Amino acid sequence: MGRIKAIVAKEFLHILRDPRSLTMVFITPLVMIFVLGYSVSYDLNRVDAAVIDLAQSRLSRQLVKAFAANRVFVVRTQGASNRTLSLAEAEEMLRRQEIREIIVIPADLSQRLATAGQGEIGLVIDGSDTNVANLVYQYTERILLEFNSGLLGAGGAAGPLLTLDTKIYFNPEARSQFFFIPGLVAVILLMISAMLTSLSISRERETGSIALLFISPLRSVEIIVGKTIPFILVALLDGAVILLFARFWFGIPLRGNLAVLLVFALLYIIAGLSLGILISTSAPNQKVAMLATLLSTMLPSFLLSGFIFPLDSLSPVLQAISYAIPATYFLRIIRGVVLKGAELRHFLFEGGMLIALSVLLLAAATRKFNRQRKAAQ
Amino acid sequence: MSGAGPAIVVRGLSKSFGRFQAVKGISFDVAAGEIVGFLGPNGAGKTTTIKMITGLLKITSGQVLVDGLDNAEHLAEVKGKLGYMSQKFSLYPLLTAQENIEFFAGISGLAPGALGAQVERLRQQVPAPLLRLKIHDVPPGIRQKVALAVCLLPGPPIILLDEPTSGVDPEARRSFWSEIYALKTAGKTLLVSTHNLDEAEYCDRILIIHNGEIVAAGAPDELLRQRRKAGIEELFMDAIRDHGQD
Repeated sequence: MGRIKAIVAKEFLHILRDPRSLTMVFITPLVMIFVLGYSVSYDLNRVDAAVIDLAQSRLSRQLVKAFAANRVFVVRTQGASNRTLSLAEAEEMLRRQEIREIIVIPADLSQRLATAGQGEIGLVIDGSDTNVANLVYQYTERILLEFNSGLLGAGGAAGPLLTLDTKIYFNPEARSQFFFIPGLVAVILLMISAMLTSLSISRERETGSIALLFISPLRSVEIIVGKTIPFILVALLDGAVILLFARFWFGIPLRGNLAVLLVFALLYIIAGLSLGILISTSAPNQKVAMLATLLSTMLPSFLLSGFIFPLDSLSPVLQAISYAIPATYFLRIIRGVVLKGAELRHFLFEGGMLIALSVLLLAAATRKFNRQRKAAQ
Repeated sequence: MSGAGPAIVVRGLSKSFGRFQAVKGISFDVAAGEIVGFLGPNGAGKTTTIKMITGLLKITSGQVLVDGLDNAEHLAEVKGKLGYMSQKFSLYPLLTAQENIEFFAGISGLAPGALGAQVERLRQQVPAPLLRLKIHDVPPGIRQKVALAVCLLPGPPIILLDEPTSGVDPEARRSFWSEIYALKTAGKTLLVSTHNLDEAEYCDRILIIHNGEIVAAGAPDELLRQRRKAGIEELFMDAIRDHGQD
């Protein structure tokens, strides 16, 4: 009993005298419960929909109004130059991920209702996110049912008046792997990139070799750039390997241009490597660096980037945080290129944000690294 | 070296970590071309002092002049005059000896052709197969020689060696001190820290540091004579006792 007591006492002393681990033990669950509590939700707060009203009748306008009146739906009916949206324009918006669905009201809707007693509304849904696609379909169907009951009240006819003729784009078989695996590639790539630099610098600190770098004529920016370049190549190669694995093992299609993906992957990797350097400036050793890298890349990328839960389902605060996560942008890019065959021009905003985040993270990492070096001097 | 004054001048140097004062206002000079031994037990303040001289650690108070230049104001120039070998040797374990040398030469801006002397010197001391092994796999004595070669790469006139002989066998220690003498003969100035008191005999002068304060300074023979002691260990204990009474 006395021997166990000695071990217990020693462990308590270790726990109490290791403030970093203690903080992690108490702070991490709080952060997790907060983030998970606000993000674990499949409810959509917003569904962007393009409505192509070919009928331009009183009935079709009422239907458009019914969608627009719903608090979740944001309806777009006009394209460039304030003209009525064309299907091609709407499909382009779907590819750019500006909308989640296209509702097409056929020109002969009133005629069909008059002659056959029912009519079909065309519905095209972005199927790249199978869960969101299901929700979008359910939300659309619900509004149509309500609209039908309104019509029933007015006309007293039997049976549903308007039905949906649904087409799923980009993932017609609704395979969830098509959605998750490109997302996993993005999450893994960020984690690996950040891990590469954070471990490399904290290893130098542990072995003491960083002192020799500090005493050399090297400038901090030279150390950081020199450390980053080889890891860019390693991470790119790593990304290529996991993408090939996804393609040939899981059968994920690659509908877009690989070169486009490569360009954005490069920016994404630089952001990840810079994040790793930033983490390493606060980590006293490799163990802490690894844990901090895992927490700061995996947790937000899984929960707040749109990887599992749609961004539209997050609270406004978490949505704002999601803008600072590189995975948020690369996820859209990789899913767009892989599943939708999207091109470079579709991701100018995401590309711009990745450049901004890379520059910001690299500048912050260099500044902190430099300050740390000067603080020692 | 400008040759006008001491290679290193330390005045009222202090370093505090929070409330703990690791170095307490110490002052000493190191003349050009001499070997000064910085003796003291582990935790006495040797490494902290050396790191403050190199600029790796911020000085809390006091002043360090290297070849007449204040290291707080002319750090880049001071760095150019100093060679520093750290306590842990701090080589890259997965690189071979030659690769380590090439790397450190590269970051010092040395052309590959300028490596000849150091690599040749190392080749004379270390069997060729060992030079091709990763540093991780070679004995500490060889690592020590490679670390010294790295430290000497830019041809610094003043060399700071922090516990260079810790963890190596007696034969390697003796061989290393021959190297240090060769450097002195070549006109270098050396400040060598050690906790092995018997290494004092190799030095022109010694500084004994204890609890962040210099408790004795001078030529080893002179100090032994002054204090009427037979050996450095006795001298060390006597100096600590005297200082404690002050």
